[in-house]
Amino acid sequence: MGGLLGGLLGVGGGFVMVPLQVLWARMPQKQANATSLVAIIPIALVAVPIYYFRKGTPQVDFHLALFLVIGSVIGAYFGARLLNRIPERELKYGVAGLLFLAGLKELVFP
Amino acid sequence: MSWGDLVAIGGGLLAGFLSGTIGIGGGLVFVPFMTIGFRIAQPLAQGTSLAAVIPTAVVGGVTHLRRGNVRRDAAIWMGAGGVVGAAIGALIAVEVPSSILARIFGAFLLFSAYRIAFPGRPAATEPKVPA
Repeated sequence: MGGLLGGLLGVGGGFVMVPLQVLWARMPQKQANATSLVAIIPIALVAVPIYYFRKGTPQVDFHLALFLVIGSVIGAYFGARLLNRIPERELKYGVAGLLFLAGLKELVFP
Repeated sequence: MSWGDLVAIGGGLLAGFLSGTIGIGGGLVFVPFMTIGFRIAQPLAQGTSLAAVIPTAVVGGVTHLRRGNVRRDAAIWMGAGGVVGAAIGALIAVEVPSSILARIFGAFLLFSAYRIAFPGRPAATEPKVPA
């Protein structure tokens, strides 16, 4: 299920996997986040070649991906390091608000 | 290097930070960043996001592995199951019209926003039945 959403929506599938682990496997939130991050790796590895080869024009822009990666590698490093010191609640509410606006935009003006 | 590249680095920085802290794998930030910010078509944004997610997840995942935050058995189990789903999902995504895919993604963003703001709210008294 996480993988299906991952492939379909271009996200890692963490959004299904994390609550699944917390609710049903009773895993602590932090452990669930870390575990889903690892499980995302094979999911993305399978989906990317399909996006690239399945259509006439590749649906993957590696140039753009490279620069996203440069930023995200630095960000991920600091994120993981600061994990224990971050005001998690506030961060989550902020992110939820932004995603809500983005989702609304995509629904109304796709 | 263009301004676009710099903006992409900024978007990546944010996505990576959130992936390291709340474990969202970056894609949730990458895709709307590209479609809304760069006006990139939905399937191309998704494919690019998945490519960019790989190194992000590797770096974040390895850092967590070292700190002992990862349940290895669960990671293997979910990764293996996820691979099958990922193949099916990607095959659907490249065939569906871009505007429909964008709407599906929008709905998913709303759902994600809800899940982040109110995690594990339901089923406090209900029996937990796996879907």
